[in-house]
Order: sequence, then structure tokens, then C-alpha cells
Amino acid sequence: MEFLGKIVIAGLMNGSIYGLVAIGFVLVYKSSSVLNFSQGYMLLLGAYIFWFFKASLKLDLLPSLLLALPSGFLMGIAIERITLRPLIGQPLISMITVTIFLSLVLEGLVSLIWGTYPLEQITVFGRGSGTVGSIVLTTENVCAFGVAFGAMVVLILFFRYTNLGLAMRGVAEGHQIVQSMGIGVRRIFSISWGIAGVAATIGGILMGTTLGFQLGLSHIGLLAIPAAFIGGLESPEGAILGGLLIGLIESVVSGYLGNAAGVPATFVVLILVMLIRPYGFFGLERIERV
Amino acid sequence: MLKLSNVEVKYAGVILVLRGVSLEIRGGKIVALLGSNGAGKTTTLKSISGLLHTELGEVTAGTIEYDGQRIDKLGPEEVAKKGIIQVMEGRQVLEHLTVEENLRLGGYIRKKKSLKQDLDMVYGYFPKLTRLRNSTSGYLSGGEQQMLAMGRAMMAHPKIMLLDEPSMGLAPLVVEEIYAIIERFNAEEATGILVVEQNARAALAVSEFAYVMENGRVVLDGSSAKLAENEDIKEFYLGLSKFGEKRSYRDVKHYKRRKRWL
Repeated sequence: MEFLGKIVIAGLMNGSIYGLVAIGFVLVYKSSSVLNFSQGYMLLLGAYIFWFFKASLKLDLLPSLLLALPSGFLMGIAIERITLRPLIGQPLISMITVTIFLSLVLEGLVSLIWGTYPLEQITVFGRGSGTVGSIVLTTENVCAFGVAFGAMVVLILFFRYTNLGLAMRGVAEGHQIVQSMGIGVRRIFSISWGIAGVAATIGGILMGTTLGFQLGLSHIGLLAIPAAFIGGLESPEGAILGGLLIGLIESVVSGYLGNAAGVPATFVVLILVMLIRPYGFFGLERIERV
Repeated sequence: MLKLSNVEVKYAGVILVLRGVSLEIRGGKIVALLGSNGAGKTTTLKSISGLLHTELGEVTAGTIEYDGQRIDKLGPEEVAKKGIIQVMEGRQVLEHLTVEENLRLGGYIRKKKSLKQDLDMVYGYFPKLTRLRNSTSGYLSGGEQQMLAMGRAMMAHPKIMLLDEPSMGLAPLVVEEIYAIIERFNAEEATGILVVEQNARAALAVSEFAYVMENGRVVLDGSSAKLAENEDIKEFYLGLSKFGEKRSYRDVKHYKRRKRWL
């Protein structure tokens, strides 16, 4: 029982980060119908940029965050501007191909600058631990969970209640319609990519502090994809639930069947969900009136 | 005042759609643009609103001026910000958003005024929408969607509204209702309206002035009252001829009756 509790909590904590990264993925898909397979590598780059401010420049936590998050935003905008904007109006498949190979470019960039070895471990939230019942929680884990969850709630409120968030949902529905209302579609694209960059950076920092800053962080991005699909590609709430579910499955399966089984199990679940509910749990079904 | 002079539009650089269209809308008036399918009515609207640029179309000659400034090179967002809003054909609503969210987006560019006041104005024109404010707009009926699309444009307080076939696919009673609202909106908000129609009867009844297009050209214009009396318009657009007589297919002989303007 104690073992189960432990892996469930670990799973939910990781899951909240997957959910956060998946929101970035969903955001880009919603506004531009592009599946951004480079999301995981944006996470990697974002994490390393933070590490650079925190460890190389030896800044405090707050200034490093204040520098890293806008950098994440700019990273998203730059990727959109340089590689995807010229492709607006081209077949989607070419955009998706670009994002796949962009991943390799980003990874190459990171290993070129920082090398391929894991970077020096840094503490972000301080060390400490407490126990709930018989389960040990470290401060880092709790903080990571809190930040990821907080960021998700903020994003959801943003979509629901702000004009900009509403405009993003509108852009997802039809470009001409929103253009006819005076909303600049390109600006909305940029901002979506920017926010996806920030979400990836936050996820990267949180993952980096618990797992270490290493190239393997990009695999989180790989797990954000099933999270987004399971939740439904258009739904930020779905992305979170998908993330938590993926985290849970990964953790429980690796706990009982060994580490190697964890990640494949999540994809098995993804395939099952796709077979039963092709739109995911909260995805938008095509509206057809009869 | 919105003024098109000799506007020529090409799609993809080779397909000539408009061959020199000139028309004018003075502030606060309703103007009708009639014509059969493929005459270039929708293209004319898109060339004004800038939506042409989003689909490989281009104004290759002539000018479109609004209050003395050329707007034919502007993108749709800038044209909308100048106060010219197009309501696209076929009741284009943002399906997965609720009615109220659609309306809020319509007011995205408006000068900061009370959102509630604007919503109330739209619900005043379309009382039906009030009840539906939290429903997903994709599931509304055709008439309700057309009302929503128009209400969304009203939210921006346009100076000129471009209405593309508001009667398309709607029951006659709903068409009547919608045209009554168009007339009232024009009178109360002093918004100029350019309405494109196949339903010539409805459009001529509310408009002051009308243009008839064919093959990318304006072939006839005049006050709506005068056009409604025109023999050709009667026969080709209103479906009237020799009222009250029985007609046999033998007498129809389409080839004998030529449109006088061609």
C-alpha cells in the first residue's frame, strides 16, 4: 500500500508537468492546426536557457525565472516566425514535417552549446522533505506540482475569460471569419507559439530540477503528445487530465513491471483511447446539423 | 463614403473575375447589389473588405476608396478597423463557441465602451438570441445563425456593413424578419449597408439604390424603386411577366427575349 501511494503521488507530480507541456501543444494546435512535434525540444532548450541564467551567470532564482520565461516566449515566437510563418497556406503536412525535423535541429543546438553530458545539478526550490502518512515528499516535488498546476489553472482561466484567449479559440475555428472581425491571425499565431514556449520552459525547469538538466528531458515532450491526444487536442482541461493520466500510468506500470514498461504502456493506453474515442475525452467533435 | 472605381480583380493572376466595377455607397444608405451566380457580387464584397487577399485574389486595376483613402491594398484586419465589416455568406459562425462568445469576439476591435451595453443592443435587435446566449452556436438553426453572424458584425459598430446574401437558404418568414431588422438597424445606427442578394424582391424593397451585376460588370443601376419597375429586372430577377396569364412552354422561347443591356 505504501509503495502504491508513493508511485501514485510520483505519477501525479510528473503528470502535472506533462499536462502543462501538453497545454502548449494543444495551444499551437488549436490556433493553427499544426501538431508541434518539437514541443519536447522547446522544453529542453527552455530548461537549458534557465540553467544558463541560474548556474552560469549565478543569478538568484527570481531573476533567472524573470529572464528565462520571456526567453521561452521569444523562443516560441522565433520558431514560428522563422520556420512556420513562410509556410502559412501550404499543406499542413509540410508544417508538421518541419516541426519534426526542427526537433533535431534544436537538440543539435543544445548539444553544440552545452555539450551532451548532463549539466551540473542545481537546486531551485531548496532541499527539504516532509511526510504524509508514510509517504515522503520532497520540497522540490511539491513545488514542481504546485507550479505546474498553478500555471495550468492560469492558462485555463485565460482561455475562458480574456478577450485574447477568446480570440485564440476563435482563430482555431476559422481564419477568414475572425479576420473579417478585425482580429490579426498572424499576431494570434505568434502569441500562441510564445505561450507554448513559456509552458515548455516552465515544464523544462520543473523537470530539470527533479531529473537533472540533461538531453533526456526532451522525452517529456514525447509524453505530452499522448497526453494531448487522450485529453482531446482542442481542450486545455483535457490536456491536464491526459497529462495526469499519462503520469499515473507511467509511474504505476514502471513501479510494478519495471522501468522499461512505463513509457510503452502510456502509448498502449493512447492507442486504446483513440480506438474508443477518436476525438479524445474532451476534444471538439465536428458539428454536423441534420 | 465608399467608392469603387473601375475595380478589376484577378484570382491567381490569371482568372479575371471583376472587369471594371464602379459603385458608391454614401453614409447611412442601404444599397443593393443584385446578380446571378458567378456574376462577381461576393468578389466585389471581398475586394472591399480585404478578404480577397486571403484567397489569392488581387485588385489589379482601379481603386477602392473610403473617405478619400485607398483601402484596396489593406488586409482584412485593417479594413475592419476602419469600420467596414463584412458578414460572410452562408452564416459563418464560430461553431464551438457560444452565442455570447461569438458576439464578444465581434466586439473585439470596438472602441472601449461597455460590453454589456453593446450586447444588450444586439439582443435588442435579435431577441431570439438572448435565450440562446449560452448555447453552442454550431447547433443553432439556420436563421438563428444568420442573426448571430449579423449581430456579431453589429458589435463592432461598423460604419459600413457588407451583407452577403442574408436570405440564403432561409424560410420566407425568416427572410422577412431579417430584412426588417436590417432596415431598423440602418435607421437607428446610421450604418451604411451594402447588401448582396439573389432575392431581388427583398433587397429592392429595403434599399434606396441598386446595382445589377453580370459577368463581372455592373450592367444596370438606378434607384431601387425604378429598378423594380424595369421590364428586364421584372422578368429575369423577379420572375414576373405578363401578369396573370397562363403560359405554356411553347411560348417561353427564351432566346427571343434578350436582356436589353447586353
